[in-house]
Amino acid sequence: MVEVQLFFYFGIFLAIVGSIATAWGPGVNDPVVRTFNTEVASVGVCLVLLCYNHVLALLTLLATTVIITLILFRAIIRLEEMGADV
Amino acid sequence: MVMIPPYVPEAFITMYLPAIYAGLIVGFIGTMAIAMKREEIHILILTDLVGLAMIFVVSAVGTDLAEALILPGLVVELAETLAISEILITREMRIIEQDPRRNLSKSSSLFPQPFSANMEILTTAPNFIALVLIGYGIFLTGFTGGAVAGGGIVLYALSKKARGLPILMLDGIAGVSGIAWCLWIIGFLLFFVMPQYWLLSLFLAACGLLLKVASKVGLIGLLMREDIDRE
Repeated sequence: MVEVQLFFYFGIFLAIVGSIATAWGPGVNDPVVRTFNTEVASVGVCLVLLCYNHVLALLTLLATTVIITLILFRAIIRLEEMGADV
Repeated sequence: MVMIPPYVPEAFITMYLPAIYAGLIVGFIGTMAIAMKREEIHILILTDLVGLAMIFVVSAVGTDLAEALILPGLVVELAETLAISEILITREMRIIEQDPRRNLSKSSSLFPQPFSANMEILTTAPNFIALVLIGYGIFLTGFTGGAVAGGGIVLYALSKKARGLPILMLDGIAGVSGIAWCLWIIGFLLFFVMPQYWLLSLFLAACGLLLKVASKVGLIGLLMREDIDRE
């Protein structure tokens, strides 16, 4: 059986790497790329919640991540259509 | 000295410090990036990172209390993102109105081109997935169920709108919020007045929260209606 700790530390690693990628990663001046990089950190948090047996929190995180991505894409597309500097 | 409740498993106690440090590191990265950026939309995306750091710190507690604190945090973060994105769009529109030299492009649709492939799965699958999501959300109740059911509603509205079809619009969706509050308050009151009916009051509060959160997420459908009316 694979240790739970392995998933826990891998989740922490993914979250930190994902947040660094979101903050200073390649091509983050495009807001779409930045939004996608947030997903990496989000997957790391999902792994950590899985290790803690927080099923409801995991489900809610998945659902809200999907909806927040939709909201952010809508805002990005509307702002770019209006010619704002994004 | 740190008070640790006796029912916290041993494994979670050893995982406490790494989780707290990871949360602090992620939060530090997020806030530093926010301090270094100028554009508001980037700051809005980076706010997500600070939310993830919040989840780390709270989940390090490792008991049901952590779960109970994460759920409203996530839903409030969702509402915040929605509100701030609306404020950003409105402000940009005001700037354009004051300065008409910048020409405003006519199309303001989320999907500019109507999708015209004629496949049967495109008409049946979104309805089915939305139905499954809404049903599962009603089964879950509470914050989680509200988010899942709201995701189903949004998926339905988006898939209809992407193909240029009319969406079923409910005008009184704001009134659902009042009913939800009434259910929640009745449940809360019943919990103290008649504690033997705790299961009933629990379900009243859970169904109230389900209606509340699902209707809040349904606000996205309301916003998209404004997009349609403008065209």
